[in-house]
Amino acid sequence: MEIGEEAEVEETLKRIQSHKGVIGTMVVNAEGIPIRTTLDNSTTVQYAGLLHHLTMKAKSTVRDIDPQNDLTFLRIRSKKHEIMVAPDKEYLLIVIQNPCE
Amino acid sequence: MTSGKHSRALARAANAGAWRYRDFRGGEKGWWTTPQLVATMPVSPAGSHKQQNFRLNIATQPKKSISFFATMKATSVKGYTGANQSRMAVSKTVLIPPELKTAEKTNPSIKTMQVFDINGTDVTPRPLYHPDPLTGTAKPNKLLTSQEGSLGPEFISSHSLYQNTINPSMLGQFTRSVLGSSTVSKSSVSTSESIAEDLEEPSYKRERLTSFTDLQVIRAAPEKIVTKEDLEKNIEIILTETETLRFFDLPTVMVSVESEEAEKVTQRNKNYEVLCRNRLGNDLYVERMMQTFNGAPKNKDVQCDKIIMEDKGIMSTAWDLYDSYNAMEPLSLSVKPSVVESSSKTNVLPKDQDQRLPGSTIEKNSETSSLMDIENVILAKIHEDEEDHSDAILKSDKFHQDLFFMERVLMENLFQPKLAAYRQLPVLKEPEPEEPEDFLESAKREDVEEESKKEEEEEIHAEESTIPANLERLWSFSCDLTKGLNVSSLAWNKTNPDLLAVGYGHFGFKEQKRGLACCWSIKNPMWPERIYQSPYGVTAVDFSIGAPNLLAVGYHNGTIAIYNVRSNSNVPVLDSSESPQKHLGPVWQLQWIEQDRGTTGDDKREILVSISADGRISKWVIRKGLDCYDLMRLKRTTATSNRKGGEKEKKDEALISRQAPGMCFSFHPKDTNIYLAGTEEGHIHKCSCSYNEQYLNTYRGHKGPVYKVTWNPFCHDVFLSCSADWGVIIWQQENVKPFLSFYPTTSVVYDVAWSPKSSYIFAAANENRVEIWDLHISTLDPLIVNTANPGIKFTTILFAKQTDCLLVGDSDGQVSVYELRNMPTALESGRGDKIDTLLGPKSNQPA
Repeated sequence: MEIGEEAEVEETLKRIQSHKGVIGTMVVNAEGIPIRTTLDNSTTVQYAGLLHHLTMKAKSTVRDIDPQNDLTFLRIRSKKHEIMVAPDKEYLLIVIQNPCE
Repeated sequence: MTSGKHSRALARAANAGAWRYRDFRGGEKGWWTTPQLVATMPVSPAGSHKQQNFRLNIATQPKKSISFFATMKATSVKGYTGANQSRMAVSKTVLIPPELKTAEKTNPSIKTMQVFDINGTDVTPRPLYHPDPLTGTAKPNKLLTSQEGSLGPEFISSHSLYQNTINPSMLGQFTRSVLGSSTVSKSSVSTSESIAEDLEEPSYKRERLTSFTDLQVIRAAPEKIVTKEDLEKNIEIILTETETLRFFDLPTVMVSVESEEAEKVTQRNKNYEVLCRNRLGNDLYVERMMQTFNGAPKNKDVQCDKIIMEDKGIMSTAWDLYDSYNAMEPLSLSVKPSVVESSSKTNVLPKDQDQRLPGSTIEKNSETSSLMDIENVILAKIHEDEEDHSDAILKSDKFHQDLFFMERVLMENLFQPKLAAYRQLPVLKEPEPEEPEDFLESAKREDVEEESKKEEEEEIHAEESTIPANLERLWSFSCDLTKGLNVSSLAWNKTNPDLLAVGYGHFGFKEQKRGLACCWSIKNPMWPERIYQSPYGVTAVDFSIGAPNLLAVGYHNGTIAIYNVRSNSNVPVLDSSESPQKHLGPVWQLQWIEQDRGTTGDDKREILVSISADGRISKWVIRKGLDCYDLMRLKRTTATSNRKGGEKEKKDEALISRQAPGMCFSFHPKDTNIYLAGTEEGHIHKCSCSYNEQYLNTYRGHKGPVYKVTWNPFCHDVFLSCSADWGVIIWQQENVKPFLSFYPTTSVVYDVAWSPKSSYIFAAANENRVEIWDLHISTLDPLIVNTANPGIKFTTILFAKQTDCLLVGDSDGQVSVYELRNMPTALESGRGDKIDTLLGPKSNQPA
């Protein structure tokens, strides 16, 4: 089961990366160390560090308003890309996509 | 007698001193025996000395001025006054030195002599001060040793001893006396007056100093005189208790009201108050300044270790408090196992807290903390290695879920306009896509209805703009897995309108490949949510109504499998392959039916009805396994005879199979007891569940296998059928003859479906065309025709329930989603009536 799951995880990651417009996919742990990434290390670390803080702040904001609520997903749309972050206590899943082409 | 005892010791010393003195004078040896005498002598050695002197005087009667001393000192002893007096008296009689008189004059207070009144009574005044010989301790003073060098040590000692015990108040008198005597001893006899004058102003200091020097000397003196005999002598030492010494006395400032002094005190207080009041402005009281000396301050520095300061800030947020509060209760329960687990990891904790507290914002000065997070950190730190941890992350369920969501979000981004169109949300043609994606998640269902109204209005406008209705292809469900397979069936999930089940399998016997049943979601058009593979081609799929997670799949080999779509497992929950009553031919259609009245009389039970090529319509019930009951056996019926009975015995010509393969069926929307079944012969039979041997009716019209039969959802008397004879026929229930037939092309019509929105509209899938017919507009031509790419056949068709979209499955494994655009507005009133009116006048001939 676990092997299957792992393969599935890998496959899903691959699929995500192969989608149209996806620039990079990153999985970093809570310390900012990349676990899986398709970008170079420095960019990954930069993204991880910056997004970690932002995610914390967003989570804090959400929970301040209602402590029973929690942040599940964070999307940042900019002129050039869209950064999508799925936060968790132990990791950050970051996908950078260029949605409009 | 204590003092007397004590005096003994001193007396010894005094003896010694005296003895020494005696030496000076060339003393006599007989002095040794005098200790006893000494006992009665005055306390101080000086005194004894004096006594001795006195005795000496008695014995030898030297004319010495020292006699002064003796008498003087002797009388100063407390308690021995009387004796001394007696002695004095004696001495008095013996000695009549002229100095005595002077002593009298100089020291009236101290008894240098005895005063006798007329009667001879001794009225000599007692001394006011009685020095305590016990306190005679040496006071070091080296100041005037030289001055008194001429004095014999005994004198000095005598001085000193007295000096020690001198009460300051009595000092003057004593010193006077002492000095007087000393001066007398020193110098030749001088007039007492002169002495007195000298003593008028005793240089207090001088006297004191002399006494101090005396004191100093007295220490040294006894040591020198010690001889062997002295050492061997037993010396008695008597310890006595001194008087209570008062070191500190703080008298009370308060007096009880009830005490005797109270009145006096209150009176005094009152007087004082009066005084104070009178003081102001009173001439008697003058203010005067005084300058006090300020003590010189002294600075003292102290050095200590540097106190290390650390700043620590914590931001208390609402959720932080909430977490901690909520974590308190489970914490107490789970603290034990977590403690056990984390016992070896506690050393790692502090570091973790800094780094891994998920709720903490680790900035320089502030951080947040939470019990629950610490708890989770404790539990999460079971894995020590970094690698293990990253693997754990990858394997965690949350990660799966996040990946899943991420993919969907990506899809959303990619297909946003398409999905918006699907959901009938306004799509703005701008480079920046706007919020519809948010709408997609949230209030989609409510919006759709509103949007559909808007859509209708748009359609009105569209009609005016004379853009013809068309199908716009939005996207297609396809992936690598499905490539090359033939889509054989489509089914929506009954509760989740976004979930679509697609069965892939070839129709023909020769073309059999592996089969696939996939569950697709609208939100992810690029990869199916579930994939169920099987070696046989899938020919029918349907989702259950009562248990929407159950998917029934019919295979080309006649097996029916039920999958639970909650799990990803390829193993079906139930399988009919073991069942003895399983179908022998491909299961062409499956449908879950909720029957009001089951055959066993239950209220509402869901059954799975299947029709297959072995001529059986079976009902499957899920109890412990799949139980099968035959609803109907499709008997072959000849074209001519309209036999309803299905006798078991053969009456016709011998056929290969007694039964006609069933291709499709459709249950009446209202009465689930009635259903239609289409056969390969081209007949459509209307059957009832109650009768499993007879048909209620048979509709003949098709010349080829009837691939699909379907009731009109609005008008319950009308049903539609399509067949391989290129024809689509509309029937009326009562009429066994076709009502309307359509033969648009010379290709097999695989599938037809009524539109859920309008009773006039239906769609038909040919081999190479998809046609949308609107009976309201025309019965001759389809409204919309969409041609397939060459080489691809459209095999299945399905309308989307809430949106104006059509799903078309083709032989290449793609399920395309088309949007029906610019459709003519459906009239709202009485859809069912309309078709009746439509059908009514057209019953004879198509208009």
